[in-house]
Amino acid sequence: MSQSFLEVKGLTKKFGGLTAVNDATFSMERHQIIGLIGPNGAGKTTLLRLMTGILKPDSGSVRFMGQEMAGKNTWDIVNKGMVSTFQNMRPFRRLPIIANVMVACLCPRALKRGEWVKKIEAKAMDALEFAGISDMAKENASILSQGDLKRLEVARAIATEPELLLLDEPFGGLSPAETDLMAKSIKRLHKGGRFGRLHSEGPAMIIVEHKLHWLMMIATRIIVLSFGTIIADGTPDEIIKNPTVIEAYLGQGGN
Amino acid sequence: MKLILFYLRKLLAVVRNEVLVLPSRVAVIIFFLFILLLPSFTDDVYILRVFTLTCIFAIFAASWDLLCGFTGQLNFGHALFFGVGAYSAALMNIHWQLAPWFSIPLGALVAVAAGLTVGIPALRLKGTYLALTTMAFPIIVIGLIFTFPGFTGGELGISGIQKLAPTRIEEYYVISILMLVLCTIMWKITDSNTGIIFHAIREDEIAVRASGVNTTRYKLLAFCLSGFFAGLAGGLYAHFMRIVGPSTLDVSLSFQVVIWSIFGGAATIYGPVAAVFFLYPTLELFHLIQDYRTIVFAIVVLLVLIFMPDGLFRWLREKVEEECPRCKVRNVAWRKTCRVCTASLE
Ligand SMILES: Nc1ncnc2c1ncn2[C@@H]1O[C@H](COP(=O)(O)OP(=O)(O)OP(=O)(O)O)[C@@H](O)[C@H]1O
Ligand SMILES: [Mg+2]
Repeated sequence: MSQSFLEVKGLTKKFGGLTAVNDATFSMERHQIIGLIGPNGAGKTTLLRLMTGILKPDSGSVRFMGQEMAGKNTWDIVNKGMVSTFQNMRPFRRLPIIANVMVACLCPRALKRGEWVKKIEAKAMDALEFAGISDMAKENASILSQGDLKRLEVARAIATEPELLLLDEPFGGLSPAETDLMAKSIKRLHKGGRFGRLHSEGPAMIIVEHKLHWLMMIATRIIVLSFGTIIADGTPDEIIKNPTVIEAYLGQGGN
Repeated sequence: MKLILFYLRKLLAVVRNEVLVLPSRVAVIIFFLFILLLPSFTDDVYILRVFTLTCIFAIFAASWDLLCGFTGQLNFGHALFFGVGAYSAALMNIHWQLAPWFSIPLGALVAVAAGLTVGIPALRLKGTYLALTTMAFPIIVIGLIFTFPGFTGGELGISGIQKLAPTRIEEYYVISILMLVLCTIMWKITDSNTGIIFHAIREDEIAVRASGVNTTRYKLLAFCLSGFFAGLAGGLYAHFMRIVGPSTLDVSLSFQVVIWSIFGGAATIYGPVAAVFFLYPTLELFHLIQDYRTIVFAIVVLLVLIFMPDGLFRWLREKVEEECPRCKVRNVAWRKTCRVCTASLE
């Protein structure tokens, strides 16, 4: 293998005097699920936004499947196969829930890959079923609770049929039982077998999450961010024992 | 004979099961019949003229709704498309002797180009900033018209444009049937997958991008489509009035279309169309009380906006129809159970 699946190099973003992401460098393989953790305000969301082109980096590069993504339009990046959810959910409130997902099903990538399904609606419905909110498909998105909005975010993201799925706090607002369900669905998605990809593996993932207990169950590798800098990178077991990580969290008052 | 009876019965069944069940559908049928049968009730030239103009402005209002109601790209200079369509059709007719069947569609294409021109700043500007910028465009074109009076007729405009059809009744039919067809097409667009993306762009453009959809393309598409339909309306106006002046680009026309659309209910297509059919003839036919009609008009519009912020016709529809909580099918408000899934509507 000549090139890796994803290679982030020296990614930096400043907001005025604040360096939100500082020289972030890491790479990942197609089969991985990475957990991205760090105290509040560490720059996790900013890092994801830089990768999907919602924010433009000040410097650095993001190579995804052999192509440079930094500086590209968000929709181009999504159509290359990298999609992200929003931490502060952004549904189309006055549209029915199913229409929210249909928008994603209408992106060129999903249209190309969805040939075997006859109807866009059917595919959107599949995504909703996966996220567990298909029974409300025809209601307006404005009626959804916080937890259900999280699920809608996930449904909308997977409807674009990504190779790399970036989830920003997918368990936020979910009850323990719901979190359990969502964690299982995410694992199932990663294994593949759903979503128009009957013959291939599911997407690679980077998951930002504060509920470490559940994250450790899913992720095979953890990256820790603190004040915009990557301070640790390793398996869950290594991370738990890492003194720098413990200090970063304790310094913030623990988590 | 039997076959005809069979089809007739089938048609009746469709009417009973699909049309008569909902007041809004009945209203649409009555509207279509009214439009098509109007000349058989009256051959008064004045009334036909008023309703012909009403049809033209209905196309115009619907085109505003397509762009602004649905896609959320506030355009306070919509007269630009109307005026550019009207002037282009007039100039092509006068200078190149093109028949209306060519000058009107070609004029609409020029309006599409105008749509693209306005669409490009709209890629960067939002809300009020966009609204203010769009207001400037028709003023610029008026400036151009005054700069080249030899070609454009200047302040007096262009007169002697070819008639659309030999008689008033024929003109009425051409324009009214076109209005029904064009508005149906616009409604179909908003009801399609493209319409869903337009809606979503109004709700949250960033989220549409993050769903992998090229919002630039769709916003420009909305401007082009809207420009095309408004340009058609302008071209029809030119060949119907047989004179085109700077008033087709006037700020008051731009505001008029905003008022019509919001009055009827933006983002519905049927709302603005119905509003034009309600407001325009009423205002015209009350020309006897010339002095008061503008103020009465203003008061009526204000009252509607205060008490029915979603528009008069959407408000009416909500009053007589309700959605089944289970299957989301619309029902007459006085039904007790849903007509499809028989769930209780209490
Ligand atoms: N658009 C912006 N303009 C200015 N500052 C910003 C902006 N977005 C984020 N920041 C700042 O950048 C820093 C990193 O924010 P970010 O949202 O990436 O943190 P996070 O790790 O996602 O935190 P959380 O766990 O609370 O979601 C914060 O200090 C935040 O205030
Ligand atoms: Mg965050």
